[in-house]
Amino acid sequence: MGHTERLQNTTDVGYWTGEIPLEYVYTYGRAGEAYFKNLKNNGAFLGARCEKCDITYVPPRTYCEKCFDRLEDSYVKVEPTGTVHTYTVLHKNLDGSTKEDPVIMAMVRLDGTDGGVVHYLGGLKPDQVHIGMRVKAILKPKTERIGAITDIKHFKPL
Amino acid sequence: MLDAKAIEKTATKIGLKDIKQGKVLSSHDVPNLKYAWDNGVAIGRYLAELKKGKIIGKQCHGCKRVLVPPRLFCEICWKPTDEWTYVKDTGTILTCVVSHINWDASRVKKGQRYHTPAVIELDGAGRDQGILHLIDEIEPYDLKIGMKVKAVWKKPEERIGAITDIKYFKVVK
Repeated sequence: MGHTERLQNTTDVGYWTGEIPLEYVYTYGRAGEAYFKNLKNNGAFLGARCEKCDITYVPPRTYCEKCFDRLEDSYVKVEPTGTVHTYTVLHKNLDGSTKEDPVIMAMVRLDGTDGGVVHYLGGLKPDQVHIGMRVKAILKPKTERIGAITDIKHFKPL
Repeated sequence: MLDAKAIEKTATKIGLKDIKQGKVLSSHDVPNLKYAWDNGVAIGRYLAELKKGKIIGKQCHGCKRVLVPPRLFCEICWKPTDEWTYVKDTGTILTCVVSHINWDASRVKKGQRYHTPAVIELDGAGRDQGILHLIDEIEPYDLKIGMKVKAVWKKPEERIGAITDIKYFKVVK
């Protein structure tokens, strides 16, 4: 049983517009704070090492997700090099318009860790990327770093 | 058991001041949450009629109810509704409240009138169903359930086809 009345013409569709006001400030937590401060001040990566479980978390965690041990005293320096774990090529902007130049995004597994960073790949064409590719993080100069993931410009092939 | 000292050792106390002064890192965002809501056939007609200064409902011949706002389907008789019917812009207060807070949960400032939303059973619409609107032109705490009210409309040129085309309802004798 269908409705007895329906719109026959798409231009007859009325709509009501609205806007939900929302504003927020997000703080990164103790581990996130340490990670991004280190990135900003030292231009280096930080991980959290659980010896018992043999896991190195990047970004660092305050506790081990497997054994719940405290890891805040077990932060370790992590090299800015890694391998492309997986990647995708973006052809569209956020608003759906087409990008002039496609952008490559990759999940980079940092060397010696079980974690990594999702970021741009730079300095190569989309058809040159492959999984397993060796890459290195390129950071902005210290004066431009603010303590955010965008302090990393991109990863580029070694 | 929670150990107060252990909590003290790991807890981080930060406030808006620390964030503003940049003592801790943070990111700030104002997401764009615009939306468009499809009126549909029934509400579309309801809003179009409001713009003309009329309130329309839809009657179900099964249960004889006049649904306001109109709906295309009767949830009791489980069938499409039947007849478009105008109802009056007068009615009765079914329930009302005196609100000391604004929509964003801030307190109504001293000297400002408290908000008095009410559910109004419109004359000609089915019993025990009402529309939510505001009451004005009365001291908030003088409001009583059962009072007769009448719509105060915006001027025709100011109406846009919205429930706010009715400014408020005022109490009539």
